[in-house]
Amino acid sequence: MRPNVIKNLLQFLLIGTLLMSLKTQAQNIQVSMLTPPVTDQTSLSRVITDAKGNVHLSWVASKDDNSALYYATLTDANWSPAHLIQQGNDWFVNWADFPFLAVTDTGMVAHWLQKSAEGTYDYDINAVFFDQEKHIWGQPVIIHKDGVSAEHGFVSMLPLGEGRSFMTWLDGRNTKPAMSHPDADKDEHAMAGGMTLRAAVFDRHGETLEEWELDGLTCDCCNTSSAMTARGPVVVYRDRTEQEIRDIYITRFDDSRWTEPLAVSNDHWEVAGCPVNGPAVAAQGHLTAVVWFTAKDDQPKVQLAISNNDGAAFGTPILVDQGATNGRVSMAILDSGDIAISWLHTNGKDAALKVALYSQAGKLLADTEVAGTQSSRRSGFPVITSQGNDIYVTWTDISAGSQVKMARVRFHLPAV
Amino acid sequence: MSPLRYTIMALLVAGVSLPGLNALGTEPTPSQTPAPWKIVNYWSTTCAPCRIEIPELNLLFAELAASNVQVLGVNFDEDDRQTTLRLARRLGIEFPTLTLSEVEALGLSPPTALPTTYILSPTNEMLTKLVGIQTKASVYTILTKLAIPH
Repeated sequence: MRPNVIKNLLQFLLIGTLLMSLKTQAQNIQVSMLTPPVTDQTSLSRVITDAKGNVHLSWVASKDDNSALYYATLTDANWSPAHLIQQGNDWFVNWADFPFLAVTDTGMVAHWLQKSAEGTYDYDINAVFFDQEKHIWGQPVIIHKDGVSAEHGFVSMLPLGEGRSFMTWLDGRNTKPAMSHPDADKDEHAMAGGMTLRAAVFDRHGETLEEWELDGLTCDCCNTSSAMTARGPVVVYRDRTEQEIRDIYITRFDDSRWTEPLAVSNDHWEVAGCPVNGPAVAAQGHLTAVVWFTAKDDQPKVQLAISNNDGAAFGTPILVDQGATNGRVSMAILDSGDIAISWLHTNGKDAALKVALYSQAGKLLADTEVAGTQSSRRSGFPVITSQGNDIYVTWTDISAGSQVKMARVRFHLPAV
Repeated sequence: MSPLRYTIMALLVAGVSLPGLNALGTEPTPSQTPAPWKIVNYWSTTCAPCRIEIPELNLLFAELAASNVQVLGVNFDEDDRQTTLRLARRLGIEFPTLTLSEVEALGLSPPTALPTTYILSPTNEMLTKLVGIQTKASVYTILTKLAIPH
């Protein structure tokens, strides 16, 4: 047999096997691997959908001490080139606390973490705002105005319209002794306190329009998440009580004020440390859903709770996975109103990146394994978004080096 | 700290395993002491409480140097070895930081919260898991309670 015939035969068999493996559950679920313009040594990816339905992927490329934040846009199945947003040699790069990109009606905003002082682990949230008309990124701004060398991170963002953007973050300004504060001489009795949750609204140039402290004591190192409901933005996060209960809480911007934070579910997970495993929230109209990791009594679980009144009250938690999971959840709501969840199901060192679809009533409609990955922290936090009734998933493949991957998941469900 | 102990510690921190005296103590030569008890601390650069307890663990490491109890660190973030050693230095960690393969050899599951400190028997059986900030005194209390000679 001629070599090229053998090659063609092998290619045919390989493609056939690949297609068969990607079609699961009697052809009801289709997982398609995409090819975004990413290189080797990439990680910390995130995927979002803008108001026009374009899907944007952001990621960080690392080489030696240099880190560079990129994005690319998927429009009608075509990828744009990779666009550099910012790069630097003094970034704080961490698998659990990584950049966010949001697309507003007048441009974009992206953030990264920058060390605030050499030799410390204090870092600031730096952001840049993209002017769509001038087609340029503005000068970086530090979004928090405390001037305290402390930890600031775990950002989530939302576009608000009229060029404005909403950001929420964990803010360590109170974790430092009073002498660290610029106004220390005026506040000499200040004591080191806990991590706080803050939020702010910015105009298109990065000017702070409003800023709030949403919670005065939160978990130290779990990501925050935010979503826009029919009544306004909501923020979910891992709370921390004086008794070290670290359950998931929600606060809502309702009637021009932030509501008192409430537990999405009273798991009563008492843990004197930080799980590094924050929640995810998504909303569509009044439908608001939250997914989170908890491990009371050392029993790891991923749970889902659904609200039909903009997050004011949630139904009984629905168990998504338990035992063999390390969480790392993400969430999106499809045009159909079905709720998509991603998480890691673990098997020792190995893990499966799972995506499941739930109805608004909390019924499991279908689930699938998008990719095999590893339990390791280096595989990062997978992130999902929706476009119509498609789900886009991104994660980091560490099987050989480190490379950002992306897939599209389509659930073909029978009409009810 | 004695010069010999300091040299050994420096080599261990630098990732150099010594015959019969590697970080895990899993390669004892026949004439050496039995395999050690282990205090294994998971740390992360994002974990402020971890940074608070490191000086206490350093004190513990120094005071237990003459005993058969080792204090060992694990970078929860699983950065590459070079980065891990650089971070350990910047955090002021004076006790050895294990490699990924050494952690794997211990058979420990990653903790669900930080900071977490495990106490292991000489056969690497997990005796207790301590979640939250530890002090030298709190660890001594546990060692005594577990009847671990120190």
